[in-house]
Amino acid sequence: MRRKPQLLLLFLLQFTFFGYGQKKSKSQTTNTRLSEYFWDRTEFKVGFVGTVFWSNGLSVGAEYLWKESEKTKSRRGKERTNTHQFLFNGNLGFVTNFSSKTDTGAYTNFGLTWRRTNKKGKQFSIELNPLGYYRSFLPETYEVNGDEVNKVFLPGRGYYAPSLSVGIGRWRKGKVRSGSYFNINYTMRTSYNAGALPTFSFQYGFRFNFKNKKQ
Amino acid sequence: MKQPLTDNIRIAFLALTMLFINACSNDHTLSNLDATVFVRHKDADMPAYIKGNGSEKVFLITLHGGPGGAGLGFQGNAFDQIEDKYGVVYFDQRGSGMSQGNYSEDDVTIDLMAEDVLALVKMLKRVYGNDSRFFLLGHSWGGALGPATLLKDQSEFLGWINVDGSHSPKDLYFEYIRNFERVGAAQIELGNSVPFWESVYGELDEVDRNTVSLDDFNRLNSLAFDAEESLIDDNFINDVKVGGIDISDYNVLTFFWNILKIQSILDEDIIGELSFTERLSEITVPSLILWGKYDMVVPEFYAQEAFDNLGSAEKKLVIFERSGHSPMFTESNQFAREVLQFMDQNK
Repeated sequence: MRRKPQLLLLFLLQFTFFGYGQKKSKSQTTNTRLSEYFWDRTEFKVGFVGTVFWSNGLSVGAEYLWKESEKTKSRRGKERTNTHQFLFNGNLGFVTNFSSKTDTGAYTNFGLTWRRTNKKGKQFSIELNPLGYYRSFLPETYEVNGDEVNKVFLPGRGYYAPSLSVGIGRWRKGKVRSGSYFNINYTMRTSYNAGALPTFSFQYGFRFNFKNKKQ
Repeated sequence: MKQPLTDNIRIAFLALTMLFINACSNDHTLSNLDATVFVRHKDADMPAYIKGNGSEKVFLITLHGGPGGAGLGFQGNAFDQIEDKYGVVYFDQRGSGMSQGNYSEDDVTIDLMAEDVLALVKMLKRVYGNDSRFFLLGHSWGGALGPATLLKDQSEFLGWINVDGSHSPKDLYFEYIRNFERVGAAQIELGNSVPFWESVYGELDEVDRNTVSLDDFNRLNSLAFDAEESLIDDNFINDVKVGGIDISDYNVLTFFWNILKIQSILDEDIIGELSFTERLSEITVPSLILWGKYDMVVPEFYAQEAFDNLGSAEKKLVIFERSGHSPMFTESNQFAREVLQFMDQNK
């Protein structure tokens, strides 16, 4: 009766060690040696940002490749190599609602992107921008203080606006238009009224690397 | 490569400039107003959508329901007719619609929201001149904010129009129960949607009949809207025809977030607490009370209570026989006629 648990424990230990060893032997990571030149590692991006129904706008940005590695994995007898990148990025955007004058704003944010690219050029990325600022632009605005009413110059409000984007894309090796992306973005505007306003938007656009030669 | 890129940058720059101009332009032509002007007051920026015919500089300021409703929610056939003759100011209250700002939850009070309305009047006078004249209209929750505003300063208003307004949310909870029982019994006797009305009795058995509970209030409030749907299905009251508001006018996520937030802040001060019944006698401007006979959300009882208690020498009560909580959408022509007649007489 007591031998069964001992055998099971032995089996689990064996499985853990051999399983781990097997995994190690199937995954290999190589750090890529990156160019020393700033412009070689910098890409620009431009695209649509908004929710289509309520906001539409334009976003421009830049990405600087900080680290890159190639991971080779073996699954079901086939080898797969994916490129993993960490990039610093910055964005600047302008968004408005064509139907109303109450939802216009500009934003800028900065952070880090993790991106995985497979051999076919398909990409998956997560972009975290802890440093973000959103400035709303209001139409004609008057400030009322007691009986005094004054027109406000360049009315609007500033909000701390960190954001998180998750998206897919496509890489075009060696081309000036070096890729495209589609992200779903979550931004939080705070302090908004008496709390923090969650906002969602789509981002679709293209990346450019002007060091590349091919059109 | 360089030429197309320069062209693209130029196009993008032009597009951005156009977007910015569109976002900031306003039309203040009095005969055909179409302007969005924000009033900044005590750390909040609140939009006023000013539309209609302001030739006589007579404006109807509207206070939406909720709290947390949409100013533009009034738009439709009735208000189109009112806009043809007078200027109409649709106002997103503090923490509602597309209002924005930076303040704490403790700062939000009904008193401050009433001050916001008076600030709006000051702003309108600055834009359209001191000879501008105003009527105030409140629907549902706006029927509580209206008295709160008038009790602060009614000298700015030529008249008060109460549309199914909740001037006493303090007793609404118990009136819900009485009204459900009354209407339910009548509908069962008529053989209308019997299973639904029987289920209403079932719901009533589950709520506390002696003490106001916020959860039970929300349950009854939601049941009231269901009951109106049932009355519409039985062709007992007219169907609601809302036609003025566009889905793109409000960012839906922002709108719903604002509703949830402002209600979470104000509900405790309103439900079972707030009542202007005792002070309605202090309101002396001409008043018009418009009510749907089958309003399940703010029952008809309050129409008579408002009429009996208002201190106005000139006051009129109109009951819409085939309406529920929003007669402007169910008997819109009669609604517009009553409002225009009242404004014509008192401008």
